[in-house]
Amino acid sequence: MNLLIYGATDLGYMVALRLYQEHSVTLIDNLERLPDKFNNLDISFINGNGTDVSALEQTNVKKCELFIACSNLDEANIVACWTVKKIVDIETICFVRTMELYQNLVAPKQTRYITRYDIDTVIWPEQQLTQDIFRIISVPDAIDVEYFAEGRAKLFEYRIKEDSVLRDTAVMHCSFPKDVLIVGITRAHKLFIPNGSTVIQINDKVIFMGTSPALDNLAASIFRSSNHIKTAVLIGGGSVGFMLAKKFEQAGIRVKIIEHDKARCLVLADKLKKSLILHGNGTDLELLEGEAVGEADVSVCITNNDEKNLLCSLLIKQLSSSGRIITRVSNARTGQLFEKVGIDVVVSPMESALKELLNRVQVPNVNILALVEGGQGEVLLLTLPENFPDTRVIDLKFKVQAIIGVVKRGRRLIIPYGETVIQAGDQLKIFTTAEDAETVKTLFTR
Amino acid sequence: MKTSNILNALGIILVAFGVILLTPIAVAVMEGEYRSIIPFVTAALTSIILGLLFQKYGGFSRNFDDLRRNEGLLIVSLAWIITAAMGAIPYLFYGLHPLDAYFESVSGITTTGATILTDFSLYPKDFFFWRSLSQWLGGMGIIVLFVAILPQFSVAGRQMFFAEAPGPTEEKVTPRITHTAKALWLVYVLLTVVEVILLVVAGMPLFDAVCNALSTMAAGGFSPHPLSIMGYDNSAVTWIITFFMFLAGSNFALQYRVLMQQKPLALLQSEEFRFYSGIVLLSSGGLCLALLATTQLSFHDSIRDSFFQIVSIITTAGFSSADFALWGVVAQTVLFTVMLVGGCAGSAGGGIKVIRVIFGLKYLKREITQIIHPQAILPIKIDHKSVPDDVQRQMLGFLLFYFVLMICSALAVTVLEGDAAIGLVGTAATIGNIGPGFGEIGPMGSFGGLSVATKIIFIINMIVGRLEIIPFLAMLHPDFWSFRKESPKGLD
Repeated sequence: MNLLIYGATDLGYMVALRLYQEHSVTLIDNLERLPDKFNNLDISFINGNGTDVSALEQTNVKKCELFIACSNLDEANIVACWTVKKIVDIETICFVRTMELYQNLVAPKQTRYITRYDIDTVIWPEQQLTQDIFRIISVPDAIDVEYFAEGRAKLFEYRIKEDSVLRDTAVMHCSFPKDVLIVGITRAHKLFIPNGSTVIQINDKVIFMGTSPALDNLAASIFRSSNHIKTAVLIGGGSVGFMLAKKFEQAGIRVKIIEHDKARCLVLADKLKKSLILHGNGTDLELLEGEAVGEADVSVCITNNDEKNLLCSLLIKQLSSSGRIITRVSNARTGQLFEKVGIDVVVSPMESALKELLNRVQVPNVNILALVEGGQGEVLLLTLPENFPDTRVIDLKFKVQAIIGVVKRGRRLIIPYGETVIQAGDQLKIFTTAEDAETVKTLFTR
Repeated sequence: MKTSNILNALGIILVAFGVILLTPIAVAVMEGEYRSIIPFVTAALTSIILGLLFQKYGGFSRNFDDLRRNEGLLIVSLAWIITAAMGAIPYLFYGLHPLDAYFESVSGITTTGATILTDFSLYPKDFFFWRSLSQWLGGMGIIVLFVAILPQFSVAGRQMFFAEAPGPTEEKVTPRITHTAKALWLVYVLLTVVEVILLVVAGMPLFDAVCNALSTMAAGGFSPHPLSIMGYDNSAVTWIITFFMFLAGSNFALQYRVLMQQKPLALLQSEEFRFYSGIVLLSSGGLCLALLATTQLSFHDSIRDSFFQIVSIITTAGFSSADFALWGVVAQTVLFTVMLVGGCAGSAGGGIKVIRVIFGLKYLKREITQIIHPQAILPIKIDHKSVPDDVQRQMLGFLLFYFVLMICSALAVTVLEGDAAIGLVGTAATIGNIGPGFGEIGPMGSFGGLSVATKIIFIINMIVGRLEIIPFLAMLHPDFWSFRKESPKGLD
């Protein structure tokens, strides 16, 4: 694949480093000479501004399939993505650094505005970090996780344990978030597609498909009983702390946030519903003891200062006997040291963002999106032909085992129910068993 | 403070009020009570002439653009005092002592509903109509009424509008204050009309239906029947009035949103309304149990009477569907508790107001949490929004002053009357604009037998309570009274 990267920044370097071996990478930035570290990479460099049409045309952007904007200026990244779209309709990925911009660009309600932001993927590293931390805390039990539609849809596989709320429940009686479907169940190593009356049993492996936020909520609300997290302490109330606290609140976890900036405390206290906001320093041992930080089930150190995070983590480690400690680190190399001195989990926003980026870059562009359970199940990607009549899902008579997991219409994702109408041009992601895959393909494309 | 502004504004209000005073004549003509024409003509003329005199001394100026805060407060306070006096004039013709007439008129216009009458058969229908109408005018606030109908107050209205209802929430449903005032009155009139129709359908005579509806929507409590709603002995009527009292006690601005702007969830989304409904349901349930345990009432009667009585007291209407002065101590305690709560902000009800009660409870909860977590930042949130510090201070101040005034008045009245029950309950009932208390001043009793000093204290309580204390407190400061001279423009 041909890739174009805008921005010879640290992030740009990390991206190029990960991708240059499998793809041909071109880098564009407004620099006389490329920084030295880039010289180790086998990439081509063009001096020019990524927001400039003529500079972009020099880069042969028309032959590229993916554009990644990761310069140090958010606004420049956005403009660059738009400019590329003017020249050629390729996929664009844009990095931003502030919550406001991110929410402008990806908020689900933007579909109601007249003109949409025409950027395919927006990555805000801190948001990815939040999701990663949340997933580490709330879904340590997922057996398999697959991503579709540039990561906006997901597939999770869980084993149903003895104490699960879904145990011995018929599929149609399961109460889980909107935009989530149960697409498959593996029982005694045999995968099958359940219908409404199928009863979920102990030791079943249940496969869920749906939009990312809905699945994260599912993980938090249904499978939380298995990891017993009731209380959490966050050191640092920045964007990550705020978003994490919000997610914890939704998942019913009690949160304490320690933040040293009084003004930020007031903002947090105003925006969060139940979290307890403490004004103080995370390295203040008396405060940590007084607020019983050691008894929390999980402690997360997410200030933007690596040294402080390390010190806080070590202090909490001293106080705590059983709680997990998650620490943020900006520099991935230092992270290894953190793990050596005994911190359970080390996370870094840049790593999280890269993981997200790679997920999107590496989606194989073939009909089979994913294989599940050692190839027993497949997720097929089908586009409905032009002459396909509008049909309600309930009226599609599958003679075989298959379930429509996600419908992509334009850039919108729909998790279909019986009443949903599918139209010509829709992209369907269909979950089916391996033996029925061919039949399903012919059913829709005839 | 500029005297001409105050005189002009009061003059305009008096002339308009004089015109309104003519409306009972229509009823007099319809009912054939021609003797009742003279009292109202006299009152109307007095009011109009006085109004014109005020305006003459004020120089007939229509320019209120430079109205100051303290002027606004004084205009509002005086407007209530003077219009009540004008409204008392007709009562004089029916043989009432001037103080009693003024008490009755203040009780009417402040929507209190405490009466000094003992024998209802002595008075013509027109008399009762005026009692109910005065409550109806006062229910939404006379200043709000004049801001809505008089174009002279389009600019200055803002100062006076918020001086009259200094609740913690700014309830503007439209950007312009005159539109807001009109919108509120529209809802008010509409609900009143619907209630009249329903009451007539339920079998009440038209005249009684009109009077009761006017009193209900104002959360007033004057009924033309000596036994109040109990006298109609009609379950449907009781339930209809319960429902409309409940609406009268909830925020009219939100009801406007629901009815006119098609936002059906506006009421339910309001924390105050949910809390208010919660108190009503919970205390009615409690009262119902208390009644079932202590009296011989049937289940349906207990439910009906407990709902009616709780709603009637919490919205500060003060109607009675039963003589609750005869109920047991438990039941009376429940009633006294909700007496202290009052209606929602922006409603016709008086009292402390539900929103301040919510705030008070949350404040206590915060103080308790702060003991355990001294370094915690704990904002007080109402409707998911932090309450700003100045509003917090204002509400705490209000609560403190409310209780201080209540205790002072209760002590004074207790000494004067030699009865602690009258002192405490009477004060709560008048300062909260509720009306009847327990015992001698209960729903079937009368305030007529009280001493002159007590009546004066209660009159002050009613006006101060209706204006939510703040204008009254402002007047206690000497700087409030710094009159400014008729100086050339631009210097003041």
